Amino acid sequence: MALIHVQVTYTMSTCGPPITDAGQTRWPPPFFSSEDAALLPGFPKQSFPPPKAILKTSSGSEREHFCCLTLLSLTCFAASLAMCFNVFTVNLTLTVCKHGFMFPLCLLVSSKVTTDHSVGGSYLGCEPMGLFWGLQPAPGEREGLRLRKKNVEAPYTVHISLLEGHVSPSEGQTTRLATVTTERWYMAPGVKRIEIRQDGVVGTLFLPPGPGPFPAILDLWGMGGGLVEYRSALFASRGYASLSLAYFGHKELPGPLNRINVGDSYFKSAFHLLQAHSQVCTDRIGIFGLSFGVYLSLRIGIHLGVTPSCLICINGPVGSTSKLSDPDGKTKQFKSEQTNWTFDDQGYVSFRKVSLPSNLFNGSLVKTENLTCPLMYIVGEDDQSASSKENADLIEETLRSVGKSHLFTRLSYPGAGHLIEPPYSPNSRASLWSVKPKKLVTLWGGHLAPHAAAQEDSWRKILEFLESNLRV
Amino acid sequence: MLRAAPPLLSVQPTRALVDEQFSVLVEKLPLACPVTVRSLHHSEDKDDWEAYGFYVSDHRGVVSVSEDLSFGGTYTGKEPMGLLWSMRPVPGSRSGLRLRRRNVCGPMLVNILVYSGHEGFRGRAPLASVLTERWHMAPGVQRIKVGQEGVRGTLFIPPGPGPFPGLLDLWGGGGGLVEYRAALLASRGYVSLALEYFSAGELQSADVEFSYFETAFNIIKEHPKVMADRVGLFGLSLGSMVSLYLASESTVVQPRCIVCISGNYCYPRGQMLRGVNENLRNRYFDKERVDENNHHIWRDISLEIIKDPAEKVNVSKISAPMLLVNGCDDQNWCTVETAEDITQMMRAVGKEHLLSKLAYPDTGHLIEPPYSPHFRATNFIVDITKKKVILLWGGQTKPHSDAQEDAWRKILSFLQHHLYGSPTLKARM
Repeated sequence: MALIHVQVTYTMSTCGPPITDAGQTRWPPPFFSSEDAALLPGFPKQSFPPPKAILKTSSGSEREHFCCLTLLSLTCFAASLAMCFNVFTVNLTLTVCKHGFMFPLCLLVSSKVTTDHSVGGSYLGCEPMGLFWGLQPAPGEREGLRLRKKNVEAPYTVHISLLEGHVSPSEGQTTRLATVTTERWYMAPGVKRIEIRQDGVVGTLFLPPGPGPFPAILDLWGMGGGLVEYRSALFASRGYASLSLAYFGHKELPGPLNRINVGDSYFKSAFHLLQAHSQVCTDRIGIFGLSFGVYLSLRIGIHLGVTPSCLICINGPVGSTSKLSDPDGKTKQFKSEQTNWTFDDQGYVSFRKVSLPSNLFNGSLVKTENLTCPLMYIVGEDDQSASSKENADLIEETLRSVGKSHLFTRLSYPGAGHLIEPPYSPNSRASLWSVKPKKLVTLWGGHLAPHAAAQEDSWRKILEFLESNLRV
Repeated sequence: MLRAAPPLLSVQPTRALVDEQFSVLVEKLPLACPVTVRSLHHSEDKDDWEAYGFYVSDHRGVVSVSEDLSFGGTYTGKEPMGLLWSMRPVPGSRSGLRLRRRNVCGPMLVNILVYSGHEGFRGRAPLASVLTERWHMAPGVQRIKVGQEGVRGTLFIPPGPGPFPGLLDLWGGGGGLVEYRAALLASRGYVSLALEYFSAGELQSADVEFSYFETAFNIIKEHPKVMADRVGLFGLSLGSMVSLYLASESTVVQPRCIVCISGNYCYPRGQMLRGVNENLRNRYFDKERVDENNHHIWRDISLEIIKDPAEKVNVSKISAPMLLVNGCDDQNWCTVETAEDITQMMRAVGKEHLLSKLAYPDTGHLIEPPYSPHFRATNFIVDITKKKVILLWGGQTKPHSDAQEDAWRKILSFLQHHLYGSPTLKARM
């Protein structure tokens, strides 16, 4: 029988080691040829402190340990019951090699996910956190799923099990040897979640524990709409007051749900609300945007007369994809602009061409030449939802032409898609976008392993960028 | 209004089991700046407990509790976990308190705070604080109340299909139902039954027979998630005594191994549990001392008792491996002498190889899971008189805390070896 030991059973969602054993990240052949298995741009070469979640198993007898350096095969799978009762699974196959023994005198054979290599399953190679970012919908689940945490006050519960042999857990009989349960949290203990419905602003504020005051972040998502809280919760857990702002598709905002009914004055109010909070440092506020949130971040940070200390943009346009309906920045109905939608052979829609700089509405283009604070722009090179590379190029060129290149930092990740999120969450290459008027699945892009690497690397760099701009 | 950013305090991890370490880091401090790092806990009994260390930041503006020396406070030196094990009631609290977790379904909430300066920090507002959670129960551990066959207790089951080894967890003369150690053992992979065998302070009136414990043992053994041939006994103080007695005399209880913390073995032959204390009080009451603080010392009574073979459990009948964990400064029972005597008895019948012994210097009676605060003396209700006295347990805080940490590791390895290991393994040198 096996004793599974998971060291540190409660962890923050972003705790974990880098996926490297000697500074190299190795990818299976479909994504890179062996010569290309190079370092990701800017991937750090040093090793990092020991990982936070270690899966250690022990079984077998003394005899196996000393005589037979062969292989003890084990299969682990992680099943997570996330929201909406979807079941995600990953499996990994480990082979114990003699290098896996940490203590020669130890009587038990031990296999460590941190140093051993997976030879099959949902991911390959030495991937200590693969059990999390490799999670996929289990066979039989609905199509087009995406794993996102709605209720940040409760953790993801992930069950990690050890199965005998190299098997896919979904195929027939498998002997489950042992299971542990881990919790993955977006909110650290003591973080306060405050619903904001004030001055017309709709959002959720997360405050770190302690007296403060704290540097702060205004957090903007894309045209999926609603109010997405988990990234803000995580920033607060890292010591930043963070306001997730709703601006589209939220029932407490004015006007029809399928249009953006708020404009510059709304975003200005949000920024000022954050700035005026007694536990926020007025002069240490950054703006963070993903997808359409990039356009908003740039517009707020450059046009509106507020003074953020830095901007972070992931995979988004430098102008609006829809015609503006008034000078305040409000736009027409998003969905009516379907001319630049493309469909693949599975009928999945890609919005990529919509945000090509040449397709952006001219009057909306943000004058990035007027940038006055550091800007970090993150590109997923396999982004199928936005023309990220082209927009990044445009911003970079504009800044260079006015001698402001020193303000610009660019991170570019091959194989990564549109949804570059906090690390260890699994990527959805495509997911359900709408049900009415007809069912549409949209293509985000990104392949599992390189996307995971991008999330991990970018998060670290985001935190360093925030640190040097908001805390110094 | 312009304000400077305060120092950055971080604790990794913020949520952990009580026997896991954490590291506390303060950054963005002024250079070479004196600060106080403090822990604060509001207990279930509504007392406030604290620990603190005086530090000086380096020229990066960093204080690392794991790496730096504390220059004073409730602990000194390089003590990564000093903020937990050196906790004591804040000034002005009631006396004789003991910190023990009752509700294991929720965590102990401990605030870690940083203040500028050293002396007088309590008069200032903290610069920063974080909250950490310390759990006895890992996620997925099940807690089940037991009430069948007259047995009172709580069963904790690790997550997963099992089957698991089992443990009967027995506390001492304070009585009541104490769950936290069983919860922690389940978090480490053992189905554990925390057993109540008399209500707090009611030892004298307990009608507890031998068979009560046998029934409890069987409940574990027969549980579908337990390997029937891998059930052990885990006892502290009176609970150790009960464990030794069961292992030597019971035909039903055949433990795979036994852990005895601060154990005694004084069980008048043929008598019931209630006879134990009667014995002590009546025969040796003149040996009970009080120290200069009026704390009661029972150690000398025990030294008398172990002189008489008729008072002792016949441990030579035990055939299971035993781990004896004792403190050399135990003022409640002469546990080290007891362990020596047990060794003699086992040696005489060629069973000494079953014994493993640990005797920790300057360590007292209450050897608990690591990072729990040390209690040199606490309130205790004496069963016969129903009087509340303060019993001296012994030990000095730093060595006692080191002992708790070391002992727990050794206990877990002992349990893993005997309850998870292969049966053909022989003990190595």
